[in-house]
Amino acid sequence: MMRPPRDLPLSNDPASRYIPWTVGLLVFLATLSLAIGFFLSSAGENWRRSLSGTLTIQVPAGPDQQAFTGSVIDLLSTTPGIDAVRRITDDEVATMLEPWLGDEISTLDLPMPVLIDATVRRGHAIDIEALSTRLMAVAPGTVVDEHAVWLRRLTDLAVIAATVSLSVMVLVLLSAVMTVVFTTRTGLAIHSDIVEVLHLIGAKDSYIARQFQIHTLWLAGIGAACGSVLGGSAILLIEVYGARLSNGLLPDITLSGIQWGLLCLLPVAAVLLVVATVGITVKRVLGRMM
Amino acid sequence: MAGLLLSSSDSGRRANGYAILHLNLFRKEPLVAAIGDIVRFESVGMRYRLGVEVLHDISFSLAAGSFHFLTGPSGAGKSSLMRLMYLAHRPSCGSISVFGRDVSTVPRVELAALRRRIGVVFQDFRLLDHLTALDNVALPLRIAGAKEGQIRDHVAELLRWVGLEEQSDAKPTTLSGGEQQRVAIARAVISRPQILLADEPTGNVDGEIAIRLMYLLEELNKIGTTVVVATHNEALLERFSHPRIRIENGALIEHGHETAFDPDAATI
Repeated sequence: MMRPPRDLPLSNDPASRYIPWTVGLLVFLATLSLAIGFFLSSAGENWRRSLSGTLTIQVPAGPDQQAFTGSVIDLLSTTPGIDAVRRITDDEVATMLEPWLGDEISTLDLPMPVLIDATVRRGHAIDIEALSTRLMAVAPGTVVDEHAVWLRRLTDLAVIAATVSLSVMVLVLLSAVMTVVFTTRTGLAIHSDIVEVLHLIGAKDSYIARQFQIHTLWLAGIGAACGSVLGGSAILLIEVYGARLSNGLLPDITLSGIQWGLLCLLPVAAVLLVVATVGITVKRVLGRMM
Repeated sequence: MAGLLLSSSDSGRRANGYAILHLNLFRKEPLVAAIGDIVRFESVGMRYRLGVEVLHDISFSLAAGSFHFLTGPSGAGKSSLMRLMYLAHRPSCGSISVFGRDVSTVPRVELAALRRRIGVVFQDFRLLDHLTALDNVALPLRIAGAKEGQIRDHVAELLRWVGLEEQSDAKPTTLSGGEQQRVAIARAVISRPQILLADEPTGNVDGEIAIRLMYLLEELNKIGTTVVVATHNEALLERFSHPRIRIENGALIEHGHETAFDPDAATI
């Protein structure tokens, strides 16, 4: 059986002892950054999917609220470009307000507006100002809330936040690369005598590089596995306890199977990146020798 | 894989503590295919980084199968010249040809292959202290990609040849100077080099061991290995009548020639 080369006593290097810790910590941070990016991306998509193409009309509380509500529904139903009109039930309103007002909302006897959802036909543009004027004529005080404007801002914010998270992940991986470059160069300096002997005996650069790579593969693999397990555990905790604590204030924070798969690939990618970096670093340094 | 250079024989006689062996080649063809210059220096200069030139205008050639002493006072440039010959350093001017290849034009990846054809016994042996004697000797074969089973057999045989079969698992730090030297020689010859360069190989051993070493190198030379021994040991130079390359203050002042190697005499 071919024995792996161990001509370089790399396991005794003080610098390489920190590789598992460094790679582990960086993979942990990268896992969290990627997961946050996924959360934000998914949340933005959910908001966009659930609210695009809809209008919400609020009929204020008052003695004529029921009559005004009927007039508004009639007017909306006959407005070109509106496909469906639905009054949001009191129970649904109570559910929506529960995070702010608690579950005893019905006993508070608050003056609640009536909410009406109107679904706009796909590709049809509604003149919101004209519609507001017409609604005000039949039901004074009525407010038309178009989701598109704030939804666009919200989704833009989610995209920016997700991009920042992914950028943080890339920076974290770059930090890992720089750390490994430094560690490898230190190892080459420590073992320069042995490296020169191997070189003069006829070892190719790839032979020497492979020894560094095998050593780093093992250390980085341990670190990446630990960092990934810790990161995954942290995400699970956030999913379980975050949903309880946010009490509906935050969007659903669960990852899809594909997203979990990508998170599992992250440590593999990190180790491959680190090992490739080691190989390139060793070959570059050795390239300066004859 | 060419196979191991040497094999011992029960009928080998022992002299001066070294096994002087019948040197049987695994393959029948001689080490050197044709008579010719195996090393050629033309107007070679050398400097370390931006320092002063330590060698200047060195021109000489070595015939395949020859045996030369490289002599000169300490600091004359012997080790620098050796470094050029074992391809550890580039010349600052002039050209060096080894095995008929101009080393300045040889691609980097092929330089490694050329180095495998050159065995080097370093002045301070440069054994790898964390490896056993066996693993140190096996190093060139492992680098060349030989199979592990072959390696162990060949290395054990060579260690027996240099009288270190009992110390095969010993680390170099536990070996005496003479034993370390023999490990270094075994490492230098295990891959059947065409050129063997020994830089002050007798510097760390007493006179008797130095003479034994010279017999060993002569045995290798008899089977076609081109040998260059850098030394300033006058007693050794007087005892062994090989031509000399003498340098002083970085300049070549003497280059003795000898009859070129006869490949027909290589198989003993």
